[in-house]
Amino acid sequence: MTAFQHLMRKTSPAPARMFAAGCLGLAAFGEPVSSEQAEFFENKIRPVLSNDCHQCHSAEAKALKGELRLDSRAAVLKGGDSGPSVVPGKPDESLIIKAIRYKDEDTAMPPKKRLTDAQIADIEAWVKMGLPWPENAGTSSPEAKKGYGFAKWRTEHWAFRKVEKPSIPSVSDNAWVKHPVDAFVLAKLEAAGLKPSPPATKTVLIRRAFLDLTGLPPSPEQVEAFLNDASPEAFAKIVDALLASPQYGERWGRHWLDVARYSDGLGGALDPAALPEAWRYRDWVVSALNRDMSYDQFVRAQIAGDLFADEPELRIATGFFAVGPTYVGDGGDPEATAQARAETLADRVDTFSRAFLGLTVACARCHDHKFDPIPTRDYYSIAGVFNNTDTKDIPLAAPEVIAAFEAAQNAVREQEKKLKAAEKEKLETTGLKAELERLRKAVPPAIPRAHGLAESGNKDMPVAIRGDLRKPGENAPRRFLQIVAGENPPLFTAGSGRRQLADAVADPTNPLTARVIVNRVWKHHFGQALARTPSNFGAIGEKPTHPELLDWIAATFMEQGWSLKKLHRSILLSATWQMSSRFNASAFAADGDNRLLWRMNPRNSEVESWRDSLLFVTGELDLTAGGAPTERILESRRRTIYGTVSRNGDRFLSDEFLRLFDFPAPRSTSEARSTSTVPQQYLFMMNSAFMIERARAFAERLQREASDDRARIGRAYMLLYSRPAEEHEINLGVGFLAGAANDPNPQTRWKSYAQVLLSAHEFRQIQ
Amino acid sequence: MLFKQHEAAFRESARQLSRRDFLSRLGSGIGCIGLASLLGQNPAHAEASPLGAKAPHFAPKAKRVIQLFMPGGPSQVDTFDYKPSLAKHAGERPEAVNRKTLRNTKNGLMPSPFGFKQYGQTGKWVSDIFPHVAQCADDISFIHSMYTDIPEHAGAMMMMNVGALQPNRPSMGSWLVYGLGTENQDLPGFIAMSPRAQPRCTLANWGNAFLPGAYAGSYVNIAEMKPDAVMRDLKNSRLSTTEQRRQIDLLAQLNQTQLARMERDQGLEAGIAAMEMAFRMQFSVPEVFDISKETQATRDLYGESEFGKGCLLARRLVEQGVRVVQLSLSIDGYDIAWDTGHDDIVGGHAKLAKACDQGIAALIRDLKARGLFEDTLIVWGGEFGRAPTSEGAKGRDHNHYGYTTWLAGGGVKAGFSFGATDEFGCTAVEDRVHVHDLHATILHLMGLDHEKLTYRYSGRDYRLTDVSGNVVHGIIA
Repeated sequence: MTAFQHLMRKTSPAPARMFAAGCLGLAAFGEPVSSEQAEFFENKIRPVLSNDCHQCHSAEAKALKGELRLDSRAAVLKGGDSGPSVVPGKPDESLIIKAIRYKDEDTAMPPKKRLTDAQIADIEAWVKMGLPWPENAGTSSPEAKKGYGFAKWRTEHWAFRKVEKPSIPSVSDNAWVKHPVDAFVLAKLEAAGLKPSPPATKTVLIRRAFLDLTGLPPSPEQVEAFLNDASPEAFAKIVDALLASPQYGERWGRHWLDVARYSDGLGGALDPAALPEAWRYRDWVVSALNRDMSYDQFVRAQIAGDLFADEPELRIATGFFAVGPTYVGDGGDPEATAQARAETLADRVDTFSRAFLGLTVACARCHDHKFDPIPTRDYYSIAGVFNNTDTKDIPLAAPEVIAAFEAAQNAVREQEKKLKAAEKEKLETTGLKAELERLRKAVPPAIPRAHGLAESGNKDMPVAIRGDLRKPGENAPRRFLQIVAGENPPLFTAGSGRRQLADAVADPTNPLTARVIVNRVWKHHFGQALARTPSNFGAIGEKPTHPELLDWIAATFMEQGWSLKKLHRSILLSATWQMSSRFNASAFAADGDNRLLWRMNPRNSEVESWRDSLLFVTGELDLTAGGAPTERILESRRRTIYGTVSRNGDRFLSDEFLRLFDFPAPRSTSEARSTSTVPQQYLFMMNSAFMIERARAFAERLQREASDDRARIGRAYMLLYSRPAEEHEINLGVGFLAGAANDPNPQTRWKSYAQVLLSAHEFRQIQ
Repeated sequence: MLFKQHEAAFRESARQLSRRDFLSRLGSGIGCIGLASLLGQNPAHAEASPLGAKAPHFAPKAKRVIQLFMPGGPSQVDTFDYKPSLAKHAGERPEAVNRKTLRNTKNGLMPSPFGFKQYGQTGKWVSDIFPHVAQCADDISFIHSMYTDIPEHAGAMMMMNVGALQPNRPSMGSWLVYGLGTENQDLPGFIAMSPRAQPRCTLANWGNAFLPGAYAGSYVNIAEMKPDAVMRDLKNSRLSTTEQRRQIDLLAQLNQTQLARMERDQGLEAGIAAMEMAFRMQFSVPEVFDISKETQATRDLYGESEFGKGCLLARRLVEQGVRVVQLSLSIDGYDIAWDTGHDDIVGGHAKLAKACDQGIAALIRDLKARGLFEDTLIVWGGEFGRAPTSEGAKGRDHNHYGYTTWLAGGGVKAGFSFGATDEFGCTAVEDRVHVHDLHATILHLMGLDHEKLTYRYSGRDYRLTDVSGNVVHGIIA
């Protein structure tokens, strides 16, 4: 079936990513362009026009051929020297069709190479349809953007609507509701005829809370104490204690570092910078979370922390951008240099917009966004801000300390020059040398530095035609996205405009910022977000499963001063979060994806949490916080967040280990980790020195802490899985230990057994 | 032999496992269904076995790819694109070659320092530095009209191996494994190899970028053939195979119990299968990388060079069902070996050609002898070519306007030359083939439509060929 037949028959449902027809607005078409037609145009027609025609037939053509432009519907209809190029609906009478069919040598187009049969068929189909041309597509000329439909988008697309606190729905089973969150969830379940899963057992609950908030399991003693605490506040006390522990920031800071595509640099040939101070940004993130810095301030600091004159510490926060890839050429070719610059700006815009706003603004780099109301000019409005910003190492000291350091360094340099001059003229140098030595000793200790941002200009940039910075188009004034800030947003005039950009993001009337972060937080508590594409709230992102709930949480979050800790607390104290993750065949049949939240999603800990927990249960974990990373994390006993991370994951042993277990490549912002299951993971568990060492340490711990094999097995299960071993499990263990008959050394047998227990899936699972 | 014993031990224990039949304890009805069908039935379970062989979009001409990557830019006019006009116009700088090169060289034309002779039924002219490959000219499809976007190594290498100028897209090999899976579940689907130096941009050349981790190429440095250099943690230095088998069995039992407790956990189901595969890989991987298993005659055919041995490994790997092998040339630890052409074409190119010539020809012959040639696609080439004008006295600068890449085997015409550069070998002028077109063609030969092989990431569908690429039907048999 050709694409054309498909469009005409409309038998297949529109692809899920297509969004309600009409939002693309009225085209210069006489009648609305349907979403299928728009998609057809974007996928089949526009690439051909742009790749094979526009070089000679557009406003951008170096030399317009035959006075014919093919860059808007009107221009196609108007035609060129030979008259109108198309008769809508009649391919056989249209000049353009005759040309592309290559029947007549003189008019055959494109001149160098015939289009493929499929492309020709598509263009014929397009003419037959009457030339549908969505108005937000096509040229980047301002008139093409008229009536982009922003207002309509703001009322029709969930993410662009104002955040308003919805009323709490009424439910039948009021007894289940512990928190307003529960009412939203239960209302949907009841409407679908489903029941929430029963509450998780206390042992499951405490383990879940520990792993969720700190990435470490509870000790058997903590489990015991919780089981013995019958007070109604028992669980709330646990949650509060975990939120107050420094391990909370390390766990949740790492979630944010995924979004920030954090690395310690050294991306290789095209992005070669080492970022030896990147860890200061990592530590800032951890500390900001531990201090419960309000999220709006957290955002402002990362975008424009260097511009808050009164808070120098916030300058480190701009590492958010500075630790990203900064591309360079590989030999000075101007084309390659321009490409590298464009790609660096694309990283800034992409990371900025997906991380904070859940919008894929970088998709509008070469053409207007195909699905969202983001004109190319808006991309360059934001790119312009970063085009006036440089990455810069920031000295972390008071100005007078910096001045003293620089003066001392200058004195050394001056003295070196004097000495060189004297040596050249073969003069006596003993005194000069002594003085140099004295000056060198007088230099104060090096001032710590952080990778951050600095202002470098105050100039708009032009739209780069088809993304090529060397082909400037119209000017793109620096300002915020029109879909959020209105059709004529205030211009950014102060310096690069970053301060204003930061304020626009953190503005409570911005409909995206709060929704995006609470959705990310929800994802890490439940394994699945409410809107399951956390960095894409646009038209082809997934709509939230519970839009009212998302809005209620977002509104409450802002009311409560953008406090992440309050948000965590309210989620963990809900009946929803405390449900069991047990399987239920009938609920599974009705909602296998658990979109309605009939149970807690069982999930695996991330690699960091898994490794940290391994060291924790063996009693080896070193909880020292912060500081420079180690490249040999597998030999270290510190938390995994302190391992060195290279941009491509190919520099360090730490990288190789992390990537084996789904650590995201820090080339670009990551909204979610994949969960791959590959044999190499099991090779690691079976054979790596790290696992063999942990098995040894664990066996030794059990040897110390219990007196016979049955008791040791019981202790092992409490330490590893936070539950007592069942009788058959103890027997299984005893049998295994006895089975290694040819090995008389009980310690060796225990190591072998301990390795199996540590490798078990249950240890990595959050139920 | 050892491998066979382990294999037998494994099969026996697998039988025991199935006899134990943990799944039957589930009681929820799922128990009657075997693990395998449980894995296969649920469409949401695609992640369960990401490397399982998948159906192509249409009948493929080739089932596997061996890319012989020549980093640094081999000179077309000194290898396979014979240009007698260079001698006639030596020292001149005709308008056709008066183009900007990376280093802005302004010299005149430099004839190839190497002799050329005609070979095979087609009378193909090939440089004297490739005497062995020349003998296979009748098996090869030369594309003389390649061009790419920029004349810098790293960016152009990315274009060749990931289809974009920056190292932030999945590699061609990872796209192929994503699209087709692989035939042997005991080995990685995509193996990248080089002796000593990795090609510039290293991991990006075989990386998966935003594709799931299972599609990443595994890199092997073939200068060192110890098992742990082949794959990390492949060997357990302490435990006997029997003891390790006991461990695996116990772990399987614990995980099965947990699976029964959770009643349904797809990740865990996949994990149990992966664990068995890991156990087998301990034997299958060292086995396939052990070229001492080959006869002396075969080893002699490939010769003594490290790259030659790499060619033999490539054959062993594809023979065992590995989907994609990328073998990069490197000598003297240089990550862009052919770039020695800047200073000295004679020394640099002759040495490099000698390092790979015999192995490449042996690979073609050996694949043919084993009946693998017709569905194995060989791709030879660098990231760009070199200018026909001189740089300094005897070197050549980069040239991205035109260069030669050749394909052989799986579905391409044999003894064929496609496209052409101008009279002096500078610019591709006839039937121009961009790297995107080459990628579209490779995917096509493997049964994949390059416009349909997409992955949704960051708000859009990505392709190896981005928004470009036309299949070069002219070279397809």
